[in-house]
Amino acid sequence: MKFLRAIGICGACILVALVAGCGKPDADVGDAAAKSITIWWAQWAPAEGLQELGNEFEKETGIAVNVSQIPWDSYQTKVFMNFANKRTDFDIVVGDSQWIGVGATKGLYLELTDWLPTAVDMDAINERAWRYLCEYPSGSGKYFAAPCETDAIGFAYRKDWFEDPKEKAAFKAKYNRELAVPDTWDEFRDVAEFFHRPDQKRYGCAPLTGRAYDSLTMGFQQIMWTFGGSWGDPETYRADGYVNCEASVESLEFLKELLKFAPKGALNLRYSQTLEVFKNGTTAMVMDYFAFFPEAVDEMGDKAGFFIMPRKGDRRVVSLGGQGFSISAKVPPEQQELAKKFIAWFLQTDIQKKWITKPAGFTANKLILQSEEFRQATPYNEPFAESLEHLQDFWNVPQYSELLSVAQKYVGEALDDVKTPKEALDAIAKEHEKIFAEAGLLKEE
Amino acid sequence: MVSQRTGLLKYGFVGPALVVLIVLNIFPLLYNVVLSFTDAELVGGGARYVGGSNYSRVFSTAEFVEAIRTTAVFVAAAVSIELCLGFCLALALQRGFRGKSAILTVLLIPMMLSPAVMALFWHQILSGDYGILNHILAAVGLGQPEWLTAPGLKLISILMIDVWMWTPFMMLIALAGLNSIPQYIYEAAEIDRAGAWRIFRRITLPMCAPLLALAVLLRTTDALKQFDLVMAVTGPNDAATQTLSALLFQKVFGDGKTGLGSAYACVLLVIVIALASVFTRYIDFIQRKQGKTQQ
Amino acid sequence: MKIIRWLVIVVYFSVAVMPLAWLAITSFKLKEDTISPTAKFIPVASKIESPDGSDTSVLFTASTDAYRRLGAVNIGSDYSFFHYLANSLIIGALSALSAVGLGTACAYGFSRFRIAGAKDWLFFILSTRFLPPLAVVVPVFMMYRQFNLQNTHVGLILLYTSFNLSLSVWLMKGFIDDIPRAYEDAALVDGYSRLQAFWRIIVPHAATGMAVTAVFCLISALNEYGFAMALNSSRAVTVPVYFAGLQGNISGVPWPQVAAGALVFVVPVAVFTVLVRKHLLRGVTFGTIKQ
Repeated sequence: MKFLRAIGICGACILVALVAGCGKPDADVGDAAAKSITIWWAQWAPAEGLQELGNEFEKETGIAVNVSQIPWDSYQTKVFMNFANKRTDFDIVVGDSQWIGVGATKGLYLELTDWLPTAVDMDAINERAWRYLCEYPSGSGKYFAAPCETDAIGFAYRKDWFEDPKEKAAFKAKYNRELAVPDTWDEFRDVAEFFHRPDQKRYGCAPLTGRAYDSLTMGFQQIMWTFGGSWGDPETYRADGYVNCEASVESLEFLKELLKFAPKGALNLRYSQTLEVFKNGTTAMVMDYFAFFPEAVDEMGDKAGFFIMPRKGDRRVVSLGGQGFSISAKVPPEQQELAKKFIAWFLQTDIQKKWITKPAGFTANKLILQSEEFRQATPYNEPFAESLEHLQDFWNVPQYSELLSVAQKYVGEALDDVKTPKEALDAIAKEHEKIFAEAGLLKEE
Repeated sequence: MVSQRTGLLKYGFVGPALVVLIVLNIFPLLYNVVLSFTDAELVGGGARYVGGSNYSRVFSTAEFVEAIRTTAVFVAAAVSIELCLGFCLALALQRGFRGKSAILTVLLIPMMLSPAVMALFWHQILSGDYGILNHILAAVGLGQPEWLTAPGLKLISILMIDVWMWTPFMMLIALAGLNSIPQYIYEAAEIDRAGAWRIFRRITLPMCAPLLALAVLLRTTDALKQFDLVMAVTGPNDAATQTLSALLFQKVFGDGKTGLGSAYACVLLVIVIALASVFTRYIDFIQRKQGKTQQ
Repeated sequence: MKIIRWLVIVVYFSVAVMPLAWLAITSFKLKEDTISPTAKFIPVASKIESPDGSDTSVLFTASTDAYRRLGAVNIGSDYSFFHYLANSLIIGALSALSAVGLGTACAYGFSRFRIAGAKDWLFFILSTRFLPPLAVVVPVFMMYRQFNLQNTHVGLILLYTSFNLSLSVWLMKGFIDDIPRAYEDAALVDGYSRLQAFWRIIVPHAATGMAVTAVFCLISALNEYGFAMALNSSRAVTVPVYFAGLQGNISGVPWPQVAAGALVFVVPVAVFTVLVRKHLLRGVTFGTIKQ
């Protein structure tokens, strides 16, 4: 019976803990009557800016705005698991650019084609933002999202190292030119090699190689495009001969070469981790989406500089990022109306001008983007604005998630030396064509 | 009268549990088979019958074979390492000494902990940069591998965590086996002047074997499900560590292909059910044997 | 021989305990010390900073900061750790109770009555334990969608009840088989009904067994990850799912809080393990081996 008493005591402790834990009532249950909308977005600085604007909106209208932040690794899975329910927990999802096809064709996103022109001056918005973030299918004039955040991948670099006279002299002696922010991928390679000194715990560069969600693919594809390769032909959906062409193979080999100058663990660096190896001061140049860079500035101050993706020859392509506001089709109409109200409010020029003052508040408003005010606001805004001219995106057809996980897996195997770059890209071509064929997209030659 | 009343009553006792099991286990299994012949997706309704095309995709893609291989390698390595280590430990712990029960209890703790939580924490041990394991290796002058990201080591890292968690399980059952050997058999062997190795081969091992086999079966069915550690160490979509469960997760929740995922699930279930039937037969055998010795 | 024996014990013991010790040490660190390039394993009250700012000392300043921060909401999640802990405990406790209740009744039925195909039923019950959660999660997911059970505590409680029933029936059958039939027969002769006999005679005698079974069910429900993650994206998130979601956090994983939270989560499990240590063998072999 001693044993029973011990179990009983433990049980009592648990009960006390339960009561203590449940003592605070859940916020969302408490004031169900008050009007509020819930927005889901990935976890990063702009989401905090959005919450701040949401608070202003609440002051003006009495409608509360709650922005939930979810780490990028699990963002997609969580959102689509929620979409699988009868009703979603969010009213607005700031959905990633590739999701637009699924959202539009599976009845997840509310169609906004008729409403958008009444809420926003369509011409004021960057055309690429419309095309990549909001419209599906491309060129159809049907919209399922309103622009929220535009984004691109760029590099953060150690300005203090680049400006150090000793480093400059050493670089000149070795490479016979000035140490400067690299403009081409070849220069980039040299600079990475130059700064790579593992014995001093200093590393050359950190490309994106994360195996969770999409970071490896986003990091790799821009090099592939710049080298002259592509995922496939958007007309026929043929991938063979595109994703595994010579230029693509060369670009993957080049990425593998860059990894020689990367810090430890560089075979699996997600967005949060390239940022981390920059913030801990070990790495000279790290690749990440611009919207992550406020964190880099917070930590490194003016030691941090930023530059645009390098070019090769006269080609420069940058992976598109950014997200649009989509209203869930799986919430009641009253909630959808509240959501529309917020989006219309957010897209007003005055509010957009406030949006750019928030860290990484990358508006899609053309005039504001081009304004001197925006370019000067942060050290990363200038290269960001420049990148907008060079954006491209991954497939955004409804099958994108399958295409993505194939790409992630096989490019990963190439980095791991399980497959050669050629084998890996051949495998991607084969699997991608299979997926397109099954979806009825693939056209025979 | 009486017998009729107990006749209903007995189903009142066993019924509710069986109903719960049938609703939440058998029904999903059947539903799974149905789904595997459709193109159902995670989001959006309207699944169509697509015949065996999901199955032909399962068997025509390399990733399925790779996942089976990864799972098999993992199960074989994990179970055999745990068995050997656990049995050695049991041999070492067989004789009584002061504080034995305290040491035993502490050793048993890892197998009761949450794999998902502990595997996340194992990053603190295995990380190439700041992990304590590499600090220790550096202190004794050995290399500092990237346990969590180097191609050949990812699966080994998962294996290490699994071995840490489940060796005590093998030890526990092996100890029971050792304790069940009557002392007089050893005494008889000593009178015959049998060597230690001979005693081990001829007495200890054969007499422990039935229970060790039980332990191996239990661990095998469990290791076959490996998912939690994979998720925490590499995520579900890394070819080097993609077990069957991880592949299934990726298909259903990563790619949203519910129908295809169900086909994978059916194939996995056939394997598991085959193993489970071996297992249940074996339990039956052991129970009968125990019944005999008790009588 | 003796030396080898002790060597095996000491080496294995220290290796096996190291992760647990490291968990405890980490929970008293500040975040910088958990990702520092030199190992920090000696806690001190307050560390003297070296003058040149380089940090190669093995000392670290012990702090209970991580424990205090468990009450705060981490960026990237909606609630503090304690909310998820409460979810885990509610789901674990209720599912353990219902599994033991149903399991005891079922085990009693199989133990005392002649039931057609009893053995087949029992092995059917046992085999449900071996289903990989991921293999049945899709249909369960679809069923739950029909009944709006996703993201609810009830959904997980039901699932864990069924998941633990096999263990509970088999363990309880072992315990009830050990109770002599004569006790009930005497009660039945005294005019008790079957139900009364079950309630007044069997349940008190099987109380220890029920407690042991409940502990095993509770632990396996607390530790479960596959179902919990697949069926929950928001409201009934449990501790393992919460921790797994911290990966990819842009300010890095808050290691000291993870360690502190894991410790808070693990201590009750360890205490229960100590309490049921005599029955552990029975528990992990479904009552097949009785000692």
